[in-house]
Formats: sequence, structure tokens, C-alpha cells
Amino acid sequence: MQIPYNEELRPDTGLYNAKLGIWIFLASEIMLFGGLFSAYIMLRVGAPVWPPLGTAELNIPMATFNTVVLITSSVTMVMAWASLKMNNFAKFKMYMGLTLLFSAIFLVVKYFEYSAKLSHGFTPAHDTFLAIYYTMTGLHVLHIIGGMIVNGYLWLPGSKMWETNPERFTNRVEVSGLYWHFVDLVWIFLFPSLYLL
Amino acid sequence: MSHDDIQHHIKTYIRVFMWLMFLTIITVVASYIDFDINPQFKSGAIFVGLTIASFKGYMVASEFMHLNDEKKMIYWILGLTVVFFIVCLSIPVLWDANLVGETNFEQSPPMIDGGHH
Repeated sequence: MQIPYNEELRPDTGLYNAKLGIWIFLASEIMLFGGLFSAYIMLRVGAPVWPPLGTAELNIPMATFNTVVLITSSVTMVMAWASLKMNNFAKFKMYMGLTLLFSAIFLVVKYFEYSAKLSHGFTPAHDTFLAIYYTMTGLHVLHIIGGMIVNGYLWLPGSKMWETNPERFTNRVEVSGLYWHFVDLVWIFLFPSLYLL
Repeated sequence: MSHDDIQHHIKTYIRVFMWLMFLTIITVVASYIDFDINPQFKSGAIFVGLTIASFKGYMVASEFMHLNDEKKMIYWILGLTVVFFIVCLSIPVLWDANLVGETNFEQSPPMIDGGHH
């Protein structure tokens, strides 16, 4: 059975179905991270000193570097979509490859950041600050990995669809891009909240 | 969307990218500036930090996610989400202001008599 409205727009919503689907999913994601930001505020205003004394000092240069990396990956992602819109498949391959490369760099930096803390005994159980830090950044990392799996599929095996159904493939890349920009957006707020303030 | 439209979009993406980089540097620099009379509360720093983050978030959402030119349906979904998000963020703030659940933690908890004597 053919799934309807993959390319053509649904008359009542004015959208193709996947786009409506991803926005409803992102709405649920806003609430998921919203709940965690809410918990963060609760812990912060309830603590006599924030961050608690004796907790780990977060690595601001590493996090700043990761912010730059993630913003750059967002630009390459939107450029990948724009390349398809201009019928330039080779450029799509390049930009999507770069997006995956920047995503991998983000994870490597995060690995070094986590391992430096864990090796000094700064586990999530150490204090409330580290508990919320690991929970929020850990959930964000899981989102990065999820996005990489989807983008990796669209970059390699999934890109065959470009030959048979280019418009549907372009829509898939747009939907994946919306998710990726959301992951970037979450980091834009996580970075100052956890590392700088 | 025509070829020229996409070219125009690409120029916007590059411009937004530059702004995001600039604002990231400003965010880090601002975190080293003392904006507060009472440094214990950091309210000035939090306001500055989150205001810059909001600008960055607005640029990503409006330009990269094309929310500046989207269908009504998506605005309705996001509008509803924003309402719930504000409620979600307000609960701890209201709780802290003791407007919700007037629990006095300084009092000792009531003794529970389990009937075992």
C-alpha cells in the first residue's frame, strides 16, 4: 500500500505528511527537554550554592569548541538540503558527509569530556549538579547518535532514492534536517545553562 | 522554490552562520563579566546569557528550520507546545515562590503511629 502525501501536499494541512509528523515529534521533544530544564531550575533555586562546592569544573573551551562544531553541522545540513533543491547530488553528498563528520567530532570531544570527569570520580551520583549535567548532556548525546544513524542512512544506502524519486528523497532530507537543527537548538540553551552560568 | 530563491536562501544561511559564531563568542565573553550587584544570585549573568541564547535559537528556528515562512498548522502545534512549555517551566518557579504547595520543611515531619507498641 502506498503511503499518501509523501511528495504532494495534503489539502487540509498544506504539508506533506512526514513534515507534519516531524513537527509533532519535535513538539514532544520540546516537552521532554522542557521537563529536564524545569528540573534543572528546581535543583538550582533549591541549592544554597550553585554549582555545589567540591563538584567538577566543566571544561568551557571544550564546550565552546563543541558549540562551534554543532552550529557548523547545522549549516552543512541545511546546505545538503539546498543542494538537492538545486539538483546537485554531488554537493549533497559532500555536505551530508561533512555533517556526519562534525557530528562525530562532537561525540569524540564529549567522550574526552566525560572520561576526564569519570576518571576523577565525578559520576552522576557525586552531586545534584553532576546528576542533571549527565542527564541533560547524555540525553542530548543520544539524540546526536540517533540523528547520525538517520543521516548516515540518507548519505549512503538511502540516497539511492534520489534516482527513482528525487522529490521524496529531498523531503526526507528536509525532515531529517529539521530534527538536526532542533538538536542544535537544544545545545544552544544547554551550553550557557550548564557551562557558563 | 526556484533556483534563485535557493541561492538567496544560501546567502542567508551563511549570514546566519556568521551571526551564530559571533554570538557564541559574545556568550562566552559575557560569562566572564560580572553583571550582578550580588554575585551569589547571578541573575544579571543568567539574563544576559539566556537572552543571547534566545537570539541564537530564534535565528536557527526561523532561518534553518524555515519557521519564518511555514504553514499555519505548524504554528498551531508550536503555539500549543509553547503554552505547555511555559507551564512546565513555571511550576518550579511558582513552587519556589511558595505559591504552590505551602509545605513548611522546617517543621519536623508528623509522627506516623503504626500501632506497634
